[in-house]
Formats: sequence, structure tokens, C-alpha cells
Amino acid sequence: MPRLARLVLRRLAGSVPVLLIVVVGVFLLLDSAGGDAVDAYLVSIGGGDAALAEELRARYGLDRSVLARLLLTLGQLARGDLGWSVALNRPIGAVIAERLPNTLWLMGSATALAFASGSALGIVAGRRPGSAIDRLLSGGSLMLYSVPSFWLGLVLAVVFAVRLQWLPVSGIETIASGATGLARAADVARHLVLPVAALGTIYLALFLRVMRAGMVEAWGQDYTLAARARGVSSWRVALNHAARNALLPLVTMLGLQAASMIGGSVVIESVFGIPGFGRLAQEAVAGRDAPLLMAVILVSAVMVVAANLAVDLACGWLDPRIGSGRGGRG
Amino acid sequence: MRALFSRRLISRRSLLGSAAALLGSTALPRLGFAAGAVRLVAAADSEPRQLNPAIVASNGVFFIASKVIEPLAEASYDDGGLRPLLATGWEGSEDGSSVTFALREGVSWHDGKPFTSADVAFSAMEVWKPLQNIGRGVFANLEAVDTPDDHTAVFRFAKPMPLQLIANALPVVSAVLPKHVYEGTDIAENPANAALVGTGPFVWGEHRPGEYYLLRKNPAYWNAGEPRVDEVVFRVLPDRAAAASSLEAGEIQLAAFSAVPLVELDRIGKVPGLEVVTKGYEALTYQLVVEINHRNEHLKELKVRQAIAHAIDKAFVLDTIFLGYATAATGPVPANAPEFHTDDVTIYDFDVAKANALLDEAGFARGADGTRVALRLLPAPYFNETKQFGDYLRRALAAIGIDATIVANDSAGHQKAVYTEHAFDLAIAPTVFRGDPAISTTILVRSGVPDGVPFSNQGGYANAEIDRVVDEALVTLDPGARVELYHQFQRLVTADLPLINVADWSFTSVASDRVENIATNPRWAVSNWADVGLAD
Amino acid sequence: MIRELARRPEARVGGALLLLLVAVAALAPALSPGDPLAIAGRPLIPPLTDPALPLGTDRLGRSLLAGLIHGARTSVTIGVVSALVAVAVGMAVGTAAGFAGGLVDEGLMRVVDAFQIVPGFLLALAFVSVAGPSLLVVAVAIALGAWTGPARLSRARVLSLREADFVASARVTGMHPVEIAVRQVMPLALPPVLAVSSVIVAGAILTEAALSFLGLGDPNVVTWGGMIAEGRNQLRSAAWLSIIPGLALVATVVSIYLVGEAVGDVLAGRRRR
Repeated sequence: MPRLARLVLRRLAGSVPVLLIVVVGVFLLLDSAGGDAVDAYLVSIGGGDAALAEELRARYGLDRSVLARLLLTLGQLARGDLGWSVALNRPIGAVIAERLPNTLWLMGSATALAFASGSALGIVAGRRPGSAIDRLLSGGSLMLYSVPSFWLGLVLAVVFAVRLQWLPVSGIETIASGATGLARAADVARHLVLPVAALGTIYLALFLRVMRAGMVEAWGQDYTLAARARGVSSWRVALNHAARNALLPLVTMLGLQAASMIGGSVVIESVFGIPGFGRLAQEAVAGRDAPLLMAVILVSAVMVVAANLAVDLACGWLDPRIGSGRGGRG
Repeated sequence: MRALFSRRLISRRSLLGSAAALLGSTALPRLGFAAGAVRLVAAADSEPRQLNPAIVASNGVFFIASKVIEPLAEASYDDGGLRPLLATGWEGSEDGSSVTFALREGVSWHDGKPFTSADVAFSAMEVWKPLQNIGRGVFANLEAVDTPDDHTAVFRFAKPMPLQLIANALPVVSAVLPKHVYEGTDIAENPANAALVGTGPFVWGEHRPGEYYLLRKNPAYWNAGEPRVDEVVFRVLPDRAAAASSLEAGEIQLAAFSAVPLVELDRIGKVPGLEVVTKGYEALTYQLVVEINHRNEHLKELKVRQAIAHAIDKAFVLDTIFLGYATAATGPVPANAPEFHTDDVTIYDFDVAKANALLDEAGFARGADGTRVALRLLPAPYFNETKQFGDYLRRALAAIGIDATIVANDSAGHQKAVYTEHAFDLAIAPTVFRGDPAISTTILVRSGVPDGVPFSNQGGYANAEIDRVVDEALVTLDPGARVELYHQFQRLVTADLPLINVADWSFTSVASDRVENIATNPRWAVSNWADVGLAD
Repeated sequence: MIRELARRPEARVGGALLLLLVAVAALAPALSPGDPLAIAGRPLIPPLTDPALPLGTDRLGRSLLAGLIHGARTSVTIGVVSALVAVAVGMAVGTAAGFAGGLVDEGLMRVVDAFQIVPGFLLALAFVSVAGPSLLVVAVAIALGAWTGPARLSRARVLSLREADFVASARVTGMHPVEIAVRQVMPLALPPVLAVSSVIVAGAILTEAALSFLGLGDPNVVTWGGMIAEGRNQLRSAAWLSIIPGLALVATVVSIYLVGEAVGDVLAGRRRR
């Protein structure tokens, strides 16, 4: 697929200036904060004398100018090296590799679930706009769309983890359980149920609404009218024509929400104590670790760019104008 | 159409591929159960960035590292307050210029090498004195450590050193490192700071960041019959709400350092199989302190400081914020340190009318809106209780016409604002009492501390009389005379109020009733747990 | 317009809720005099047990009802201020980019891109931690992640208007380009931006709550997110402390969406006609 590879490369290359703006902006933001990494560290160890602080600053290169540190970090990034985290005293690449999977599992499951059930319910609602079931689903989805995910997470935790004790309260897996393979996967899945539900609900509501709106629009179009005139059953028209039409905006929405979903997972990770990307960002800010925060935001941004690229490609296949002569739009 | 189809196929395959890669990356080897192994699982609320207790003397580090690396002596409830560990005895010279330690024989490091006086000399001269956050002060005048034989270490000081101070500091400052592992390396960056090598009852196992620390039994521990459990696991649970539920679910057996929030204690104490333990933290007392910036034109007036002291309802603070798990402070030395504490000080009762009268006398009348003075209040963000006390203090000050605006910062921001930039009027600090006033509470009032030192006098307060008493106690060898100086210190501080001590509190543990020998010494959570057992 | 709206049941419900909320926010000092952070009674009084404190008290004995009332004020303020900042900045940038074109357009849109690919919440989190949590800082932090939408919308509108006759004639009369942009083009670019402003306001209220929940709210005012966070430690023994302010948040956001959606529908209906 050289064409695809070229497209991907071009897109990534095109986002380099944007990523550069992001990285420099984040660095300068954290640098202007009150207190630096050594201040954060001294607090965590219960204090030390003034000379100790200076020694530590020299050791971590924090006594150098802003520009020198920024150039050093950018130089490392250019070589593909994410650098060293002063706050965690470990290489940043390793830390990210450790935390990213947890967040990806959380976000991936939430997206998949929200997309599947949201679009399915959207089809049910959009099949007969104005029907009782449509009103119920539309109203319900608006409610769900308005629920703050962290609060929903707390409520779910109270009900299912504390009161009913069906599911674990927090964490990504049972620590040192010794489980492997399927047993471990089942354990992780159990831990993910509540966070995924809390994070996914708002997107489920969103996808439901987008799907329904797309279908409502499609019902007025010639090709659906024609199909119905041909005597095709209403379910088939709904699925093959109306829903198909609605899929494009739905996928577009998926790309638009990628950034907000990463943001949403920050709070959910905090609610459920999941050692993921969001918590890493908080630790980076608290530890005044500019390179770490830069890396977190950079990787998030690359994920967003990649998601959008994937969505663009998907839209290319889905656009009915490109596909074979279905329907009557041709 | 064909192109479209194959493209889709590729994308699906790559999706599967990345999912497999993800699974692979987290599917590192798991620690399995050794057959019949007795494992104690405790909650840990933080992961220190490095674990070497000889470099970083802090409770967060000790909590984990004290099981692997031992100090010369540990705190004890027995007379004298110390239990010998790597040192079996210590004696000071008449003139206070040296302290001689007799070291335990037959002790070996976890890598099999013998423990000798060379290790102690190396630790003292190369680590405690130059690198350790507390040791840099305690051992500032340490000139040399002589090692006449393998089991004797003689500490020589340039100025007289009270044995009382050294003894009180031992549990905190004297973690001994293996010389052969550290010599000739960059000590601060030595890999053994993450994978510890010590003499303690437990051997370093592994650390999975964000998940757990694993320590294993040291079969060659010098005290035969100990340790009594095979493994200690510290499960990382930064979320305080999670500790309680993990205890109830039986996933952990111990939550120390108040990992279970105070409001939960009442309920969780009634859960069958769990108990709340308040003992075992006597030597880890925290002091709730209102720090005062004496550069402020209002706060430099004694009457204003007295008024603030009278405006604080300590009963409310104890009952509502600490839910009874604290005691009212009388002054800068907590009652948990009976050796130094005295009640014979100036006490400020809760009396709003008196506080108002004092402010009137000081000439700060209420304006049209009822406000006399506007101040910035910076509560330390480290504990729930300091933040809640900030909310309370703001209200208490409003009652006497002081309009306090809370300025919230995170840890690093608070440290910079208060201790470096002095951008505060009132601050709330949870300072630690470290067993001897010389290495803790006095630094909050002694003048001449450079900018940027956390938990020190950064309020610009200077009182020649207090400075003299503090300095004299540092070189007074006679224990009785030294104690009397600290009694005087408490009287001076409570009379002139360089800061206001509100409450003293310690931590609580919640443990499964299967855990045996909890709270056997006043620094139990940060001691070596060699005698801790786990019943079936 | 109002009449058309009033015919829609969801707009009536949403409008009534929203009016109630705004009234409570505006009248908070009268409805619940004094400092809502003051200690009003015993700690942890359950709701509906004490007539003087109908919703009970929190851990420190502060009235939950007073917190709700004053929290509404905070939420509304944050929502409106952040939306205003976001719309103002977004329109200024979008109009400038669209009107100037060329390199300026290219440069400004790269910045917009940069802000769009960074998760806005992460940015807000970092910004508030750095600048310290005060109402204004929180509002600006939220606007940081919300101004790109209005910028893109107004740029698109300006691009389509730039070559319009009235702009050309203004140019001929020698009007300064900035004046043309501000006086002739911007007002026409406003409607599509205003149409999305309800979403911005609702998003801002939710983001503020999330920030407060993480401990990044202004400690000198009551916020619903902060109340939820404080109640979190007592989830087992006093779940209402977190549940009640959460319900208030949901009601607020729902009412804004309902009204915003109804307005959008009515406008779309008019355009179709």
C-alpha cells in the first residue's frame, strides 16, 4: 500500500509544525509555574536545606536557562528520545509504554461499546422519528449526554462496587493475583466494566443522537423514498439506506471526539484509580516535570492525529458517492 | 472494489496486531504464589522517586525501605526509647566530642558480604553527612569516623554533641548502606537506590510502578526466627477511598499512615475481621501549625497574633476535622514527646470577644463592611485535614473581622510561594516532630534560615532570646539542662507566638485481625516488621 | 421566536429549568444570605431531617442547600464567562485569519490546529495547576480548549462573505480593512457562532465541575464539582453529599441542551422556509 503509506507520512509530516507549537507551548507553560521539580521533590521528602536544593538543581540541569533546557529537550525529541523524568527518576519512554496500554484499553473499550450500542440504538430511534420509542431514546440520550462522567463513575461505584459488591472499586487488575492468560484478561475486564461504562455513556448518547439525526435526514431523500416505493421492507431501508447515510457523520464525529475522550479519561482514571495516561499527566504537572508533560501531551496529540487520519480514510470508503451504485443518488 | 476490500483487510489485521502488541506489553511475568507462602499485603499511597533511606530520611521512603535497610537503632516503648539494631550499644565521651558505637556481630548483607564498621563509617561520612536531607544538619560537625576494629565505630565531632540528640536522631538518620556496593560510584544515582541492598529481615524483590513493591523473606536474618512472614507486598493505592474497600474485600491486610480516611474509621472498625489501631505512631507526630509572615504590618503586632490564637476553636478542630484522632497542642513540642514536653506555657482559650478586644486595642478597627484586615491564607495541600482547617480558619477569622482569602497551590507551588517567595500572610503547615526539638520544631522559629528551605522559619521572625536558647540546647551535653532549655523554648514561643500550634496528630492503621504484632514500637509503620506475623 | 419555542414541550421544560437556575444564581445572596462556606450546624446531618437545614450538612457542618444555591452562581458565571472569552477570542482569530488570508491565515490556522489536537482538558488541568485556581483562571483555562470551534466557524463565514458586494463597496469607499472586518463582516459571522454557544456553555460547566473534582476549583467559592469531590470520602456513609450536587449539574446541563437544541431547530426550520 505505498499510496496509503505516503498519505500517512504526509499527514504526519504536515502536523510537525503543529506539534512543535504544542510542545513549546506546554514547556513554557509549565516553566512559568510556581516552584520547579526540586521544590516538588523536597516537599515529598519532608524538606532539606538550601544548599541541597541547589545541588539537586545542578544535578538535574534545572539551573540552566529556559532556552537551554527547551533546546535540549527539543533536540532529544528530534532524535526520538523522550528524555528522562526528574519526577519519577526513570526514562520517560518506559513510563509511557507502561501507562499508555491502560488508557488505550479504557478508551478503546469505551469507544467501541459506545459506538456499537449508540449507533444501534440510534437506528432504533431513527427508524420511526417521532414514535414513542424514539422520544424515549432521544430524551434519555439527552439526559445521559448531560451527566458528568466522573459523577456517573462515583454513582456506579457506589451501587455496583460498594453496595452490591459485584465489581471491584478501583484499579486495573487484582494486584499480584498471579493470574495469567484468559483468567487475567477476565480480571482486567471486570475492573474495566465500571470505568468504561462511566466514560462511554456520554459518547453512547452522542453517537445515538448523531445516528438518529443522520437517519431523519435520510428519510426525506429520494433514494430512501425510491427504495420504499419499490416495496423494500422498512427495516431494510433503514439499515441499508438511512443508516448507511448516517454512518459518515458518525465516523466523522468519532474523529472529532478523540481529543475530548483522552481528556475525559483523565478524570475517570482518577475516580477508579487506574494508573494510566491521565494520572501521568497529573503527576507530571504536580512534579513540575516539563519533559514528562510534553511527552504525555505529544503522544496524546499524535494519537489524535492518527485517529483523525483513520477517520478520514474510513470516510473515503464509506462515502456513498465513492461506493458502487447503491440507492438512487448516483 | 477489490482494492477497497484488501485495504479493509489490512486495517483489520493491523488492528489485531496492535491489540496483540498491547497484550504483550502488559503480559510481563507475574509473581506467582510460592506454595504455602505467607504474604502480608499493605497499602502504599505513594511511590518515592528513589528509595534509599540513607539519602532520603522521610516516612514515605522508610515505610518500604526500612524492611530492607536497617538503622543503628530503632525507637522503642521501653525505657531509654531505643532498641538496638545494627548497633548494640553507644556511649558518649565526657566532653561530647565523640560517640562510640559497638556494632552487632554476625550480620551479613543480602549479597552475603559481612557487615562491618567500615560500612558505618562510609555511610556516615559519604552519605548521611553530605547527602541526607536530615543528616546534613545532624552531622554537620562530624569530622571523622574511626574504625579501631570491625565492630566498633567512633564518631568524632568538631563541636560538643549531646548524646541525647544523637540517640533521638538514630532511628531517622542512621540507615546503613553497604560500602562495597556504593564505594566509588555516584551514590545519588546508584542502581541500588531502586533495588535495595541491606541487612534487614526482608530482601528486595521487585517494583512494578503503579502497581506494587514485593519484598521477600531474608533467610539469613541476624535475629534467628525472624521474619515471620515470607513476603511483604506494598500495593500502590494512591486513591484513599480505595484502601478501605480493598481491606474489606480482603485484597490487603494493612492500611497504615491513615490510608483509610478518618470519616471511614468508625464504620470500618465495626467490620468483622478488621480493627482500627491508633498506636504505633507516637514518634511520628505531626503538628498542625499556623505559620505567620511577620513582615506583614498587622501580623508583626503581638496582639493580632494573640487575637488569632484566641479565635481558633481547638475543640471544633479536634472533633470535626480530626474526628477525635488528634490532641490540642499547647506549644511547639507535642505531648507525645514526654521527654521534652511541658504544660507550663501560655494557653490561648477560644474567646472571640477577647480576640476582638485585642484587635481593637491594637488599633485595627472594623471598617464599614465589618472588616479590619485582609490577609492571604495558604493552606498546605498535602493533607485533607490541612485544607479543611484552611476552610475553617477562614471562617474563624471572619468572626473577628479578618478577611482571609484562601490561595490554593499544589505542593510545588505552595513550597515556592511560602518558603521561597514569602508570598503569604498566614500559612498552614503539617510539620513533623522528629523525636528531638533540635532536628524539627526549632527550625520553624530560629532566625537566619536561608530562603527556599521547606518547613522552616520563612516568616521573617527573629527573636534573639529564642535563638540563644535554641543554639545553647544544640551544644548542651547534660540531658536535664537540655530539657530545661527546651521547656524555656516552649514558654517563649507560646508567649510571643512566632507561629500558632493548633493540634498534634498521628496516624491510624486499619488492619486485618490476622496481622500479629502491630504497633510494637512508636515508629512501627516505618520499622522493620521482623516480628510481624499473619495468622491463618 | 419565543412563541415558536413555547410551542415545544422540551423547550418549555428546559426553559423553565434554565430560568430557575439563572434566578437562583442571580438571587443567591438573597436566597441564602451569608457565606455558604460558613459552619451552619452539626456535621453530616442527613437531608430532610432538620427543617432549618433541609438538605443537611457536609463533613464540616456546612449547609448543603446553601452550597447548591451558591454553586449555581459559580457554575453560571463560569459557563457564561468561559463562553464569552472563547467566542470573543475565536471570532477575533477566525475573522482575522479569514480576512487577511495568505500567510497570516496559514499561521493562525496552524495555531488553531495545535489547540485542536491537544486534549482541552489536559491543557486546562496544566494551566490551572500553574496559574493557581481562581474563577478567572478557571474560566480562561476552559476557554483555551473551546475557542477553536468559534474560530473555524467565523473564518468559514468570513471567507464566504469576503468577496460579497457590500464588502467590495466598502473597500471602494476607502474603509480601513480592520474597520470592514469589525463593523461589516463580524456581525454577519456571529449567528453561526452563537448557535453553538449553548454547547460551549454546557461544556464549560461540565469542565469546571471536573476540574473542581480534581481539586482545581477556586477554594473561596462553592462549586458543585468541589462538593462532589468532598463527598467522595463519605460515599459509603453519606452518599447524598456527592449525589445531590451531581443531580443539580445534570439538571443544569440538560436545561441548556434542551433550550439550545430547540432554538437550533426553530432557526433551522425558519431557514428551510
